[in-house]
Amino acid sequence: MGGELGSLVAAKLEAEPWVGALVGVDVDPPRRRLRKAEFHLLQPSQRERIVDVVTKFNPHVVINLSVWEPDARAGLAHARQFTADAATAIIGAAAECPALEGMVVRSGIEVYGRERNSATRPTESAPMHPTSEYGLMLANVERQAREVGKRVGIAVGELRLAPVLGKHVPSPLGRLLRQPVVPFSLFADSPFAVIEDGDAARAFVLAALRRLNEPVNIVAPGAITTLQAIMRGRRVPLPMVGPEWSIASRLSHVFGAPIPDHVVELMHRGRLADGAKALDVLGFSPALSTPEVIDHLYAWESVVRIGSIQEAVA
Amino acid sequence: MAQLIEFPVKAATRAGNALAQPLRAAWPTHSVDDYGRDPHLIGALAPFAKLRWSVTVGGAHQLPTNTGALLVCNSRRYSLSAIYAALALGEETERPVRFVGRPDIAPIGSFMRRIGGLLATPADVLNALSHHELVLVAAEGTSHPRNAGKVPHELVGPAVVAGVAVFPVATMSSTIGRAARVEVGPAVRARRKRRGPLAEVELADQVQHHLQRMLDGFGGVQTGVAPIDWLAEG
Repeated sequence: MGGELGSLVAAKLEAEPWVGALVGVDVDPPRRRLRKAEFHLLQPSQRERIVDVVTKFNPHVVINLSVWEPDARAGLAHARQFTADAATAIIGAAAECPALEGMVVRSGIEVYGRERNSATRPTESAPMHPTSEYGLMLANVERQAREVGKRVGIAVGELRLAPVLGKHVPSPLGRLLRQPVVPFSLFADSPFAVIEDGDAARAFVLAALRRLNEPVNIVAPGAITTLQAIMRGRRVPLPMVGPEWSIASRLSHVFGAPIPDHVVELMHRGRLADGAKALDVLGFSPALSTPEVIDHLYAWESVVRIGSIQEAVA
Repeated sequence: MAQLIEFPVKAATRAGNALAQPLRAAWPTHSVDDYGRDPHLIGALAPFAKLRWSVTVGGAHQLPTNTGALLVCNSRRYSLSAIYAALALGEETERPVRFVGRPDIAPIGSFMRRIGGLLATPADVLNALSHHELVLVAAEGTSHPRNAGKVPHELVGPAVVAGVAVFPVATMSSTIGRAARVEVGPAVRARRKRRGPLAEVELADQVQHHLQRMLDGFGGVQTGVAPIDWLAEG
């Protein structure tokens, strides 16, 4: 509930008439003003406290958004550890709640992997062959949730999100695309799809409402290549052929935008998925297309002068 | 006192914009579709394709205007028949026609994806057909231009699953000349209703049979000089 997506989901849930009480757990405080929700500031490693909070509340639905994308808010090692700890604690605690009817977990289209001859636009029935660290982390979360769902007999829905971008979402892809000079793969420049954070939050609310019990891809319509995204953002494209990617990623790290392996994979091999099932199962259709999400990303002002806000208010 | 060194973002952006402006003006920044096909690139390459092939299209009115369909064409080895047929039919029907058989290796695979290529996997074909796309599959390549090769039943299967029509597309081109012909035949209907995988196997055989009949109907060039006839046939 403390991350951008978590805060958005909580804010949307508060507005839903079917939501009675709401409890959230995160390592950061909420980024939005929440009126109804009760928040607990807990580390993923504090398993006993998390279990205590969740079981005392005894929810009907649990939404597990605690996935740390590598190099978004933490480096790879920490992201892997936090995600595993949080999944164990939250999914484990959910299994102990007698009133629980359903669980929705955050996953990503990285679980399909991009090995040679893998489907161009995988549907939910495509096998999971993650080929990046992030994909493996997400596949583990899905597996844990599904095992618990089978054991305690609850509905488990997995929302496989395309890379989530938004003005304030910590995302390695978003951060990289906003650099003044952005590398792209000259020979591949494959297309990818994304999803806006507000749309992703809406999908979670619908999944919780409908007690989703299957995986669903959440993808904005349309696609864009890295070069096209760079041109839309009026950044400087830096063509890369192959071996210099490692140098570029190190340089990018120094400038504050590390490039994890799943982002390199996206730029080389593309990342598309079929999002048609979301409309059938959840009645969900994204408000913004992929090129619009990219525009939205670039519409963010890097510096907002406090003085100018005060003047505007006055 | 420590000094904060700032990256000259504005200067770099200005310089980059000056360099990238010609490219930006020439190329739209949102031109790929859900499968990675780039109509703008296809439009830009069309004059070059026309330098190689002057394609006459027939029977395109039989293709559906809104729904998906699987098209199966014959293929002489190294003739790139799937590519010129897809481009010509796309232009004729004003709908994207995606051809099957791009490799998954950059740069050729990436380039073919941009001109409408799909992987030769049932998953890719099924996905496109279930989204009402026109998909063109090539039969196995043959050395003779008027022989229809074996139609891959595993790629016809998605049409059975998606419940879309299958059309034979006879193609003929010359190895030395520009003349090429693409003829769409009427939809092939399965003779028997099958519940299992025999449906696609039998349908693939029927499509091959239809293709062969269409190719036989094309006839050949007869100048009386065998090598010239062979070259003219392509």
